[in-house]
Amino acid sequence: MTALARRRSRWSGGRRFALLAVLPATLVLVALSIFPLLYSLRLSFTDQQLLSLLPARFVGLANYAQLLQDRLFWSSLLVTAAFAASVVTVQLGVGLALALALRRMPRYQQFLATLLLIPSILSSSVASFQWRSLFDYSSGPLNFFLGALHLPLLAWTADPRLALPSLILVDFWQWTPFVTLLLLAGLHALPAPVFEAARVDGSTGWQLLRYQTLPLLRRVIAITVILRLIGAFKVFDIIYVLTAGGPGSTTESLAFYNYVQGFRYFSVGYSAAMSYVSVILVIVLARAILGYMERPVGRAAAPDATGEAAV
Amino acid sequence: MSRAAVTPPGPAGPPFPRSVARGRAGLWASIVGVAIGLLFFLFPVYWMLVTSVKPPSEWLTNPPVFIPDQLYFQNYTDALFNWGGLKGLVDSGFVAVSATAIGMVLGTLAAYALARFRIGGTNLSFFILSLLFMPPVAIGIPMFLFWSALGLVDTHLALVVQYLTFTIPFVAWVMKGFFEDLPVDREESALVNGASRLRAFWDVVLPNARPALVATALLAFIFNWNEFSIAVLLSRGRVTTLPFILPTMMESHYVLWGDIAAMAALGALPVVIIAFLLQRYLVRGLSFGAIRSE
Repeated sequence: MTALARRRSRWSGGRRFALLAVLPATLVLVALSIFPLLYSLRLSFTDQQLLSLLPARFVGLANYAQLLQDRLFWSSLLVTAAFAASVVTVQLGVGLALALALRRMPRYQQFLATLLLIPSILSSSVASFQWRSLFDYSSGPLNFFLGALHLPLLAWTADPRLALPSLILVDFWQWTPFVTLLLLAGLHALPAPVFEAARVDGSTGWQLLRYQTLPLLRRVIAITVILRLIGAFKVFDIIYVLTAGGPGSTTESLAFYNYVQGFRYFSVGYSAAMSYVSVILVIVLARAILGYMERPVGRAAAPDATGEAAV
Repeated sequence: MSRAAVTPPGPAGPPFPRSVARGRAGLWASIVGVAIGLLFFLFPVYWMLVTSVKPPSEWLTNPPVFIPDQLYFQNYTDALFNWGGLKGLVDSGFVAVSATAIGMVLGTLAAYALARFRIGGTNLSFFILSLLFMPPVAIGIPMFLFWSALGLVDTHLALVVQYLTFTIPFVAWVMKGFFEDLPVDREESALVNGASRLRAFWDVVLPNARPALVATALLAFIFNWNEFSIAVLLSRGRVTTLPFILPTMMESHYVLWGDIAAMAALGALPVVIIAFLLQRYLVRGLSFGAIRSE
C-alpha cells in the first residue's frame, strides 16, 4: 500500500507537499533540541561556572575524566539502576496480575480500568504531595495503619534505608495502573483460537499463561519495559518534592544529581558533561524502543518484518 | 468506588471458558485482586480529596481523620486566592492550551507526511521519537542559558515553546499511527478528481481523523497541564503553573495540608474529567501509539 502511495506521490507532487508539511515541526524541534545539545557539548569541554566572572577555559575531556572519579556520579548511577530495576520488575508483575484479573470481568472493564488509571494521569507534582501527606510520621495514614497492626512506625522518606524504597513505592503507585492498561490491551489483541486449541489439549491455566500468553505478549511486554525504563531514567519530579536527593545522597538519581550540579552548584560545564552521558544512555534506550515500535503490530509474518528487525 | 468490582459479571463470562468450578474460583480471585488494587490505587486520591475539605484542626491529628464531620470549603478559597491558585489555573490553562494548539498543528502535519510519504525515512522518525525520551534535566542548562540570553526566563512564551519539544513528538507519533491505519483510497479518489494535496488533506483526511485528533489533543493537554520539571527550571515566580505552586506551599513552618490538598485537587480535576471522556483512547495515546487496542 505504501509503496503504491509513494509511486503515485512522485507524479502528483506529493513529495513537495510532504516536505512542506514536515518542515515546521522539524525546524522547531531541531532548534529546541539540536541547538541546546550542541551548545552543551561545547560547554562540557569547558570549566564554565554560571555565576563566575572568570572566562571559561577549554579543559578538553577533564569533565568526563572527573565524572569517572566522582563517587556521587557512580552512586547516582547505582540509584538510577536500582530504581529502574525494581520499578520494571515489580510493576510488570503486579500489572500482569491485574490485567489478567481485569480480563475476566468484561462488563465493567473499561470503567474499572479508567478508575485504576487515575494515578498515572495525575501530575507528578500532585502525586508527590499526596504521598508526602501519606508518609507523614505522626499524622500520616501509613503509620496509622502500621500502628493499628502493632508494627513499628517508619520514617519513610527520612530514613536513609527506606527513602529509595519509598520513592519506588510512589512510582509503583503512579505507574502500575499504566502498565496494567498496556498489558490489558495486549491481552485483548491475542488470537483466541490459540487458547481454544491449548484448552482442548488440556493445558492448565498456569501452562496457558507460561507457554501461550506470555510468549504472545512478548512485544507488548517489551514496549512496556522500555517505556518504564525510560520513565525511571528520567525520574526527577518525585525526588525533587519528596526527598531532594536525601537523606545524604541515598536518593540522588542521575537526573537529580545533574540538576544539583548545574542549578545548585552552578558547575555548568561539569553538568553538561553529565547530561551528555545521560543523553547517550537515553538514545540507546530510545533506539531499542524504535526497533520494536516500527515492527508491524500483531500481524504475524509480515513481508517486511525481517527488514525492519535490522533497524 | 470499589463496590462495582464486587458485582459479578453477567452471562458473558470469561472469554476463554474452562471447567466451571475452576473458572468460578479464578473469577473470585480476580475480583478480590481488582478490589484490592482499586483500594490501594485510589486511597491516596481519596486522602487528597478528604484532606482538601477538612478544617485546620483535623489536618495533623493522630489518629488521622478519614471521614470529616463537616465539609470545610475554605481550603479551596485559600488555595485560590491566598496561594495564587487562581493565577495558577490561568497560567496552567494558558500554557497548556497554547502548547497543545501549536503542537497539534505542527505535529499533525508532520505525522501525515511521515505516515503517507515516509519522508525522511526512519531517521527522521527516530529523531522525533527520541525527543520524547529526553530527560528535561539533561538539556536543562543550555535551555536555561538560551532563554536567559533572550531575557525570556519566567515568561509564558518560554514555557509554551519549550513544551513543544515533547508535545510535537507526542502528537506526531500518535497521529502517525492513526494515519497509517486510515485507508488511502478516499484521498486517492479526491486526488484523481483534481483536488490538491492540501485539499485532500484538509477535506478528506482531517474529517476522518477527527476522533483521533480530539483524543490526541486532550492527551497532549494533560501532559502540558501536568508538566513539572521544565516549569521548575524555567520559572522564578512570575509564571506559576499549578504543579509549580505546590512545592512553594511547603516552605512555611506549619504545613497547611488542607490548602495543599485543595490546590492538588484543583490540578487533578481537569485531568480526571478528561480521562473519563477519553476512556477508549487512553491506552493508545499513553503508549505513544505503540499499542493499538480496539
